[in-house]
Amino acid sequence: MTKFQRFLLKRLAISVLLTLIAVSVIFVVLRLLPGSPFEALVTSGNLNQAQIDEIRAMYGLDEPMWKQYINYLGSLLTFQFGYSILRSQPVWEVLEPRLINSLILLVPALVTTAVLSSVLGMYAGWNRGSRLEKFSIVSTTLLRSTPVFITAIFFIIVFAYNLEIVPALGMRSIRATPDGYLETFVSLDFLHHYILPFTVAVLYYSGDFLLLARNGVVEKRGSEFLKLHRAKGLSEMEQLARAGRNSMLPILTYFTLRLGMIFQGLILLEVVFSWPGIGRELVLAIQQQDYPLVQAAVFIMALAVIIANLTADVLYAYFDPTVSTNGGGSA
Amino acid sequence: MTLLNVEDLKVTYATDDETIHAVNDVSFSIDEGVNYGLAGESGSGKSTVAEALLGLLPGNGTVERGTIEFNGTDLMSLSDAERRDILWEDIAYIPQSAMDSLDPVMSTGDQIAQAIHTHRNVTDAKARDRVKELFEIVGLDPDRIDEYPHEFSGGMRQRVTIAMALALEPDLIIADEPTTGLDVIVQDKIIDKILEIQERMDSSLLLITHEIGVIAETCDELSILYGGKVMEQGSVDNVLVNPTNPYTMGLKNSFPEIDESDDPVAIPGSPPNLSREPTACVFEDRCPFATDECGESHPELFDLPNRNHRSACHRVKEAAQLRRDAHDPETWNIPDDGDDDSDRGEVILETDDLEKHYEQSQTLLSKFRAEDPDYVKAVDGVSLSVRRSEVLGIAGESGCGKSTLGETMALLEDPTGGELSFDGESYEHYQNGNLQEFRRKAQIIFQDPFDSLNPRQTVRKIVGEPLTIHDYRTDETEQAIVETLEKVGLTPAEKFLDSYPHELSGGQRQRVAVAKALVLDPDFLICDEPASMLDVSLKVNLLNLLRGLADTEDIGIVYISHDLASLTQVSDRLAIMYLGRIIEEGDVDRVANRPSHPYTSSLLSAAPEKDPTADRARVLLEGEPPDPVDLPSGCAFAPRCPKAQESCWESEPAIDETGDETHRAACYFPDSDGEPAASAVDDPELPGSSNADSIGD
Repeated sequence: MTKFQRFLLKRLAISVLLTLIAVSVIFVVLRLLPGSPFEALVTSGNLNQAQIDEIRAMYGLDEPMWKQYINYLGSLLTFQFGYSILRSQPVWEVLEPRLINSLILLVPALVTTAVLSSVLGMYAGWNRGSRLEKFSIVSTTLLRSTPVFITAIFFIIVFAYNLEIVPALGMRSIRATPDGYLETFVSLDFLHHYILPFTVAVLYYSGDFLLLARNGVVEKRGSEFLKLHRAKGLSEMEQLARAGRNSMLPILTYFTLRLGMIFQGLILLEVVFSWPGIGRELVLAIQQQDYPLVQAAVFIMALAVIIANLTADVLYAYFDPTVSTNGGGSA
Repeated sequence: MTLLNVEDLKVTYATDDETIHAVNDVSFSIDEGVNYGLAGESGSGKSTVAEALLGLLPGNGTVERGTIEFNGTDLMSLSDAERRDILWEDIAYIPQSAMDSLDPVMSTGDQIAQAIHTHRNVTDAKARDRVKELFEIVGLDPDRIDEYPHEFSGGMRQRVTIAMALALEPDLIIADEPTTGLDVIVQDKIIDKILEIQERMDSSLLLITHEIGVIAETCDELSILYGGKVMEQGSVDNVLVNPTNPYTMGLKNSFPEIDESDDPVAIPGSPPNLSREPTACVFEDRCPFATDECGESHPELFDLPNRNHRSACHRVKEAAQLRRDAHDPETWNIPDDGDDDSDRGEVILETDDLEKHYEQSQTLLSKFRAEDPDYVKAVDGVSLSVRRSEVLGIAGESGCGKSTLGETMALLEDPTGGELSFDGESYEHYQNGNLQEFRRKAQIIFQDPFDSLNPRQTVRKIVGEPLTIHDYRTDETEQAIVETLEKVGLTPAEKFLDSYPHELSGGQRQRVAVAKALVLDPDFLICDEPASMLDVSLKVNLLNLLRGLADTEDIGIVYISHDLASLTQVSDRLAIMYLGRIIEEGDVDRVANRPSHPYTSSLLSAAPEKDPTADRARVLLEGEPPDPVDLPSGCAFAPRCPKAQESCWESEPAIDETGDETHRAACYFPDSDGEPAASAVDDPELPGSSNADSIGD
């Protein structure tokens, strides 16, 4: 077994352990919440005790806690998410389209902003003290610190209501009845709806990447190895590329972490734009104490973050040869 | 033919509120195939000259005037692109700190290939072949070209940068302090390599360094810079043997040498303030020979007749007289405290078989099998003792465990075996609740004066802090601080009390660090390479200070360094360390003049000579120290030892294998007394020839 394989195996084991812990926490926390999914039905007085018991038994909620936990783990780890109490639909059927909707909005936005803002940030850092640097820092910090719903509403006011270039809400126009993902996403109508939330998301994430990249390059700018590169006769842009390459690590970390967190959707953005994403669905499900839906959604999110972390670790080893793969110390 | 001609070069740096005149009208020229040295202390502008030549000045630096002609073309008039074409193709550069001048995320081979691709249109395969060839030339394994910089040691990284400089066979190589930060043995090998290669390629070399010794050994001509001015210039033989400029004399005298009986004489004062263009002679305020004339103008370079030798001094005609006076410390207004070997007091610290082993991390599998873990034996059975009023020097290559030994003595690391007793009590006594007492009595001074002081505290706070921690002299804190600052030579103390570390020079900072250690009136001081970052004259100041402290304050001092020359100046006894063990120990004169252990001999012979006329026999050690985890059986030095025999591999010699009470060595086949292995160290034919006034003139 090579060093790298050992390292990978160790990280995988840690990830599995983390996943187990995460799903257990979800299980406990949900059951600590006051009330139950059927509270509304009970308080409205439409059900008698016998009916309630029957429904509870149907969902397996009458069993002792530990048995519920075992069942829960078993189903979750085989990706059987059960039946949504709220929507009376299999959980996966509820989650899948919403997850896809969120990802189709946020992944391209994140990738775009990671590339563009990092490059801009590196350039700004290289030309430290220039107008471009000052302007880019001020504007991205402003965008980052303004709550996303304010920016979004502002954009809606300007581009949707005043200029009427793009629609304000939704993912498709109300009249559209697409069938399947391909028809939903590959259409001008979708693009029309897509531009505004996409732009807001890009701007929202841009500040972090820009600052990370800029700081990295600023820090590397005076370093000895760049001086040697310069002495070798590399052009200004080639030197900048080396400086950028050397400040990749924080950007990479941040990117993978964000990528994992995207599976939670961007709740505020989805609410403002009425985007049928996973974030909105999750809020609704928690309000209604839809156990199966919440459990499944949180599981997917936790899994995404853990996988993203694992990817970051592996990419580290690839991008920075000095990162030791033997994990340092005995674990 | 003249290859490089620099004329009236003037470089300034713009800072927020003033302009620094870093280089003021420097002129020199380098002929083809000549090795040229630029010497000077930090702040003398020597690196700035190199950066100006290469066009590598930082953003706030400007070349105000002057011409730099290379092969007949004026470099200053070239566009950026044209200049880039000349860089590396014709002028290559060996940077100062090999440790961080290689791109950490690019393989070493690729970095060299990059230089080739930038200037030549060759295929990848051809470039790779060339890189392999270069690796071989500089003595690196050609199979390692795909490895990254962090996989190489400091000396090997410097070889990589040398390989890079050779890649396109340039006409001129500019080497900026190529060996600073490397220990003597590696430094010696690198210099040897540079010379060997450069001879083969017939290129010129511009060597920039503060070590006169390195220039004396490698260069044909040199310029000595001070305050951005050329003080003295000419052939190395003339300038270094018969300096005609007081600054050169001072610089030469302050360079400590192993075989010199005189104490080195430091130049008092600090480098000039360069915020104004110099009107007087830049050296005037430190020069003991200054006259009114010197205050009026900076002297022009005066051409000494019939020799390749120029000097900028108003009193150049009286040079012979000045030179005689310059040897006397009193000329420099330094009180001659004489060599009164004060009596050494009782033993303050003693170690017996002291060990510090670090456990290597194990795989789960071997832990499961209950295999013994591997240990890094950083300190492996060291028995030493230090008396009051005594300076014990500990010398060794990097990685030999000398710093760990220092830290373990200071109980900053827990000993893993053996005994350590301080002031008659075992270290366990101190660890069981009496650590505070130990921390007051034993102090440690670290290597780097730039990192070891809190940048946000004033000198008053830094020096006063230990008093508060230990509740010592708290009723007279201010007085204690002032007294200590004056003791370390920061006078008047009031001037420094409210300064922050960044406002002080390197030497002053290190003095503050010493003051911080001394304010508690300790009995024992550990100095871990305290002078390695300092210029020669500051280094000598610090050495004299420590020496004086040991004599007057009754302190026991352990001085750890790789620089044998300064160790022989400051120490009473010397211990040589190799891979965690002491392999030779004894009175400094005997160890330095009649080393028994072959390793000591090679260490001694690696130190450069400042006298260009002295020839020194190099004992170049093969290879690097072995892996401390997997030591060979028998004598640890055997794999590199020129005299190793069968028995050396079989069992390990103990420290008292040879010698007597005052001089012991761990060797089966010691160099016998009276027949020194390193001829230059004790060559009877050159009795202190570096001081010879009689030659020439």
